[in-house]
Amino acid sequence: MNARLDSFSYDDDIVRKFLWATMIWGLVGFLVGLIIALQLPLPGFNVSPYLTFGRLRPLHTNAVIFAFAGNAWFTGAYYSTQRLLKTRMWSDGLSAFHFWGWQAIIVSAALTLPFGITQSKEYAELEWPIDIAIAVVWVAFAINYFVTLTKRRERHIYVAIWFYIASIITVAILHIFNNLSVPAGWLKSYSIYAGVQDAFMQWWYGHNAVAFFLTTPFLGLMYYFMPKAADRPVFSYKLSILHFWTLVFLYIWAGPHHLHYTALPDWASTLGMLFSVMLWMPSWGGMVNGLLTLRGAWHKVTEDPILKFFVVAVTAYGMSTFEGPMLSVKSVNALAHYTDWIIAHVHTGALGWNGFLTFGMVYWLAPRLFQAEMYSKKLVNLHFWLATFGILLYVVAIYSAGATQGLMWRAFDETGRLQYPDFVETVMRLMPMYWVRVVGGTLYITGMILGIYNVYKTWAARPATYEVPVVQAAPLNPEPEAMHPVAGGAWARFASAQWHRKWEGMPLFFTVMVTVAVIVASLFEIIPTFLIKSNVPTIASVKPYTPLELAGRDIYQREGCFNCHSQMIRPLTYETERYGDYSKPGESVYDHPFLWGSRRIGPDLAREGGKYPDLWHVRHMNNPREITQKSIMPAYPHLLTNTIDFPTIQKHVDAMAMIGVPYGDAVNKAPEMAKAQAAQIAASIEAAGGPKGLADKEIVALTAYLQRLGRDLKNASGTAQQAAPAAKPIALNASGGSR
Amino acid sequence: MKLSDIMGAANLSAYAEVAMILFIIAFVAIVIAIFAPGRQQTYDAASRMPLDDEHPQTPR
Repeated sequence: MNARLDSFSYDDDIVRKFLWATMIWGLVGFLVGLIIALQLPLPGFNVSPYLTFGRLRPLHTNAVIFAFAGNAWFTGAYYSTQRLLKTRMWSDGLSAFHFWGWQAIIVSAALTLPFGITQSKEYAELEWPIDIAIAVVWVAFAINYFVTLTKRRERHIYVAIWFYIASIITVAILHIFNNLSVPAGWLKSYSIYAGVQDAFMQWWYGHNAVAFFLTTPFLGLMYYFMPKAADRPVFSYKLSILHFWTLVFLYIWAGPHHLHYTALPDWASTLGMLFSVMLWMPSWGGMVNGLLTLRGAWHKVTEDPILKFFVVAVTAYGMSTFEGPMLSVKSVNALAHYTDWIIAHVHTGALGWNGFLTFGMVYWLAPRLFQAEMYSKKLVNLHFWLATFGILLYVVAIYSAGATQGLMWRAFDETGRLQYPDFVETVMRLMPMYWVRVVGGTLYITGMILGIYNVYKTWAARPATYEVPVVQAAPLNPEPEAMHPVAGGAWARFASAQWHRKWEGMPLFFTVMVTVAVIVASLFEIIPTFLIKSNVPTIASVKPYTPLELAGRDIYQREGCFNCHSQMIRPLTYETERYGDYSKPGESVYDHPFLWGSRRIGPDLAREGGKYPDLWHVRHMNNPREITQKSIMPAYPHLLTNTIDFPTIQKHVDAMAMIGVPYGDAVNKAPEMAKAQAAQIAASIEAAGGPKGLADKEIVALTAYLQRLGRDLKNASGTAQQAAPAAKPIALNASGGSR
Repeated sequence: MKLSDIMGAANLSAYAEVAMILFIIAFVAIVIAIFAPGRQQTYDAASRMPLDDEHPQTPR
């Protein structure tokens, strides 16, 4: 034993900063959510051009995931890590850099997304300069964290910190690989991946953003703050270790379940399903572990609102991790995909698990950090009940909205025709549920406002200067614990698990093992998807977008059309009946990025080209309700007045050419080609009796793009009309194709 | 010849199954290691770490 004791203090100032950021950004993120929830039943709430659903929805998801949940994780991580390791963070400067850098990134997200500056990949919308800033801030955080680990005064690293380590590493890997893109100007870039591969990368990222940003960090928080609040150790430490390793091993595979029945190869989608189902058990192991931590303390739950928050949080974790595997089963997914069911699922997770765990943690921390009594326990209780009823109203309404719409889409009448051929009819049916959601969301936000007020009053009662307790602990013995001999041969040595204990004592080695698990799993799935040619059969008739169509596609991305319209028809009768031939992997080989979408608030657009005349699109964009009376789509009148920036088209074409799109002549004269095509379309609009002088307006580019969708395949099968939507055999050119 | 031709010819789609088996083996190994007898005391000590802000665990 060491006789010498080190004296040191913890940096709680950084924890206080992150706590405030959590509460304030949380409120902002929830309010944006309320606005977009109102925009669905009341299209008038869309304020073109900056505050439409398509531009605000990414702001909502980014704010809630990275600003609210992100800051919540950092709050708890800075508090618990220092205490579990018996050391101050290595560098206060890096901690502060992490804090201010992260807030600056959030502000830049809020300043770019409403302007339509987006990479249009879900939860990875932020453009490349911000992506680089994220990477820099993350590296600073990681360096600070890992050096702190080496300065620790505890040999064993508690399981919560394993969860933090795995999250830090994996988020870095995911962020870098999903965001690889070629810039085409300061605020525009194209993903280096296209079509199927881009979709695969995106959902490898997207699913693991859920796993390693919203699940594992919060499990770390659970394993620290629940024992704290209940004042008893976690039910089973063994179970927590098992929980950790199984999540690390399994989660990374599950991404393809977001792409069932799409053009993704079948084996990848089956693999994703299998691993997702396997995830159910460790997740429930973790849930049980959390709930049983309260064994013998259940009487406290009735009195202590903090424990109430934790109990509901862990229950919501259990519900969403049961539902997730269920939704990943292909046949269930066929019904649920593209519907509100998925929205309900993520809100059980986000509002219940992330939200309630955060609130419980904040209420536990506030009196300790601000060194004053919690202002009002009654208000904490009220927050709990408001938010609980808010969640219930939200998810029950939106689950039924999802099931309703999914069932309506697939309903056939007795003559074998679609029962609801008019898409808008399936949307109208959801309006009562959308109003219930507005009520539920309002309750949840009211709770949040009470929470901020309560924390503010607690802060207001703080002492003039915070007391900084001095902690004493013996430094770590530099000699690592020797493995003591175990009798009974190799098996007994293995089973004694000293090797595992030794790993835990070596954070660097431990980190490497986690990284290996994550990377190996990713590669096993990614390599075949990317490099085996037969996975993406090329179709000879599929050609790159013309310069004008590309400009139109940029507008489609800017306006966030993909948030409500998919471009991926699944090979299911009721889909081919409604939209036309199902989508082939070879169709999107030039789609940098892919725009398959994940939710159909409006109809699929994969075969939109040629369905309507050009003038229809002009009138529809100007005011959708002029065409479809009950449409809930925002109006985009600015597209009829904004002029196309022809010179930048060249830059965009060049960037695409750089990532291998065979643009041929267009590399030299993109603006001229675009102008020629625009003049043609403008003339056709005028000839049909539409407005004059649209030849240099954005609407023409967007129309060109929409009219192109799905046309390549129709050209291939020799039918220019939509008359026979049933699947036709497509000439697949396996050897050369159009590349 | 492009890389994708080579990889295509290598017929690697069985990789997924191989990986799954490897991962299941790793998983079983971890389960055995965790639940093998003889570590209960260590686990008990570790599980008390969050409750012990002031006094570090011994032995370290």
